[in-house]
Amino acid sequence: MKNYEIIEHTADMIVRIKGRDLKSLFVNAGLAIFQISAEKQQVRYPEKHKIIITQKADDIEELFINWLNELLSLSAVEGLIFEDININEISDKSVEAVATGTDLRNYKVNTEIKAATYHQLKVEQIGSGWLAEVVFDV
Amino acid sequence: MSEILLEKIDNYRWRIPKSYKPGMRVDGVIYADEKLLKDIYRDKAIEQVANVAFLPGIVNASLAMPDIHWGYGFPIGGVAATDIENGGVISPGGVGFDINCGVRLLKTNLQYEDIKDKVKDLVYTLFSDVPAGVGSKGDIRVGSREEKQILIKGAKWAVEQGFGTEEDLECTEENGAIQGADPDAASDRAYERGKAQSGTLGSGNHFLEIQVIDQLYDRDICDEFELSLGQVMVMIHSGSRGFGYQICEDYARNMVHCLQKYNISVPDRQLACAPVNSPEGKQYLAAMRAAANYAWNNRQCLMHLTRKTFERVLGESWQNLGMSLIYDVAHNIAKIEKYTIDGIEKNLCVHRKGATRAFPPGAPGLPERYQKTGQPVIIPGDMGRNSYLLVGTEKAKETFYSACHGAGRVKSRTAALKSINLNTLLKELESKGIMVKASGRATIVEEAPQAYKDVNDVVDVVHNAGISKRVCRMRPVGVIKG
Repeated sequence: MKNYEIIEHTADMIVRIKGRDLKSLFVNAGLAIFQISAEKQQVRYPEKHKIIITQKADDIEELFINWLNELLSLSAVEGLIFEDININEISDKSVEAVATGTDLRNYKVNTEIKAATYHQLKVEQIGSGWLAEVVFDV
Repeated sequence: MSEILLEKIDNYRWRIPKSYKPGMRVDGVIYADEKLLKDIYRDKAIEQVANVAFLPGIVNASLAMPDIHWGYGFPIGGVAATDIENGGVISPGGVGFDINCGVRLLKTNLQYEDIKDKVKDLVYTLFSDVPAGVGSKGDIRVGSREEKQILIKGAKWAVEQGFGTEEDLECTEENGAIQGADPDAASDRAYERGKAQSGTLGSGNHFLEIQVIDQLYDRDICDEFELSLGQVMVMIHSGSRGFGYQICEDYARNMVHCLQKYNISVPDRQLACAPVNSPEGKQYLAAMRAAANYAWNNRQCLMHLTRKTFERVLGESWQNLGMSLIYDVAHNIAKIEKYTIDGIEKNLCVHRKGATRAFPPGAPGLPERYQKTGQPVIIPGDMGRNSYLLVGTEKAKETFYSACHGAGRVKSRTAALKSINLNTLLKELESKGIMVKASGRATIVEEAPQAYKDVNDVVDVVHNAGISKRVCRMRPVGVIKG
């Protein structure tokens, strides 16, 4: 079962993501970006690339936006589609992770996600889990 | 869905009174007729017009053009001017991630009959010669020293490489290079992200279209511009690619902290901003201008590739084909412009987020050739209907000389994908004599005419409200999408 869903937005895209804890919320949100935008084709470049990501912020919402934008930016610069994310440490104000990706030429990229925005952003603890809603500029 | 009842000012203007939300500094004013208003009510764009009215230093009103729709922070189609000397702010969200996304329109001396049998060749060759699609890379590869030159010189850099003429620069907003760009205000990441993307179209709603004039409105101006029925035109819609996205991201990230530092209260953090005169404001402006110049250079390079393709397919030089640039105009940008407000001349920071500058006849900054007519205002529509050429008017002073920027979406991409069949759509377009080539099949469906308002309705409002004047209308015959 997918741990994200796309909600209607006239010009851009709202994604609702769930996670059993904060760590899995960040992992699921990060991977959702690439699952939505890219479709795997024949793997011609199997080499896996690992990138260490460290982000800091003043609060959880800022951390969430910075995290997603860092993944988008690194994906564009390194020419990678991230397929796996391991978060080593996470708090309300910082995250340390390793993202693993392969060459984007293994994929057909259907949608260009430019950035994650603060508009109507939600990052909330609900019951025993976490939920986020984020508007992406596409 | 918005619940506010707008106050009717006249047939084309609707007010959101500043009493609507505590914290609004000015009213909101939306340009629309009753038909378009129904669509505008359907999403949250009206709330966003009200939110923009919170910006410190905002002058007159938070404005929205008739193609307004829900964006993030600012609505798409939003215009807001802030008074710099009175704490007026600049907001990266009021420009957007695709800094200086814009359009340019070229004419040719060809009639549709001349190329009717060659449209397919032209479309296929353009599709192969003009890099398009997500993350597309071009043949124009430059080192970082050269890239810095692009950020300062804008389209002039391309002209110096032989990719165009001085006349092209004269027919580009800011002559293709806005002053005050600082390449050092761009992060290394922005350079990395923009590298190799010069001369690439991008994806989404960006396009390159071969169009044919199908309606003349102002015969005198058409004569002045040497435009006639059946004439072949080319329109290019693109922006600053990954370079601009990164500049916006870097500075929006910083400006979130400026809200507290400068004691600014806005209802949406995506409206994060800083006084134009603050160090953060000045630095963003310098970086935004660098991205704007990147975009002007990009569209100049795209036009060069287009001219070369026409030369190859039609076997004549682009000069012989009369492929002159009519104009190039930005529709995602913040500009410092002078206006007289209550009898006092002021420097305003005019944000145009999905809005086109529309300078009137006689405006400083317009080339000699447009002093009498007013600035060409280029309005792209969807791929199945029309696009327009208008000119700016003096009445547009009420919108800080701004007009709409397109048709405006009405259906989400997901709704389009669910309800529109690709093959049926392609057949429909083909029956109208429109040939489409795109790197992604989903893009064609997402950009289907049904996903947009009818640009004819949008332009009617702009024309009837008097904030620009219709010159002529085009219909597409060949479409290249990212």
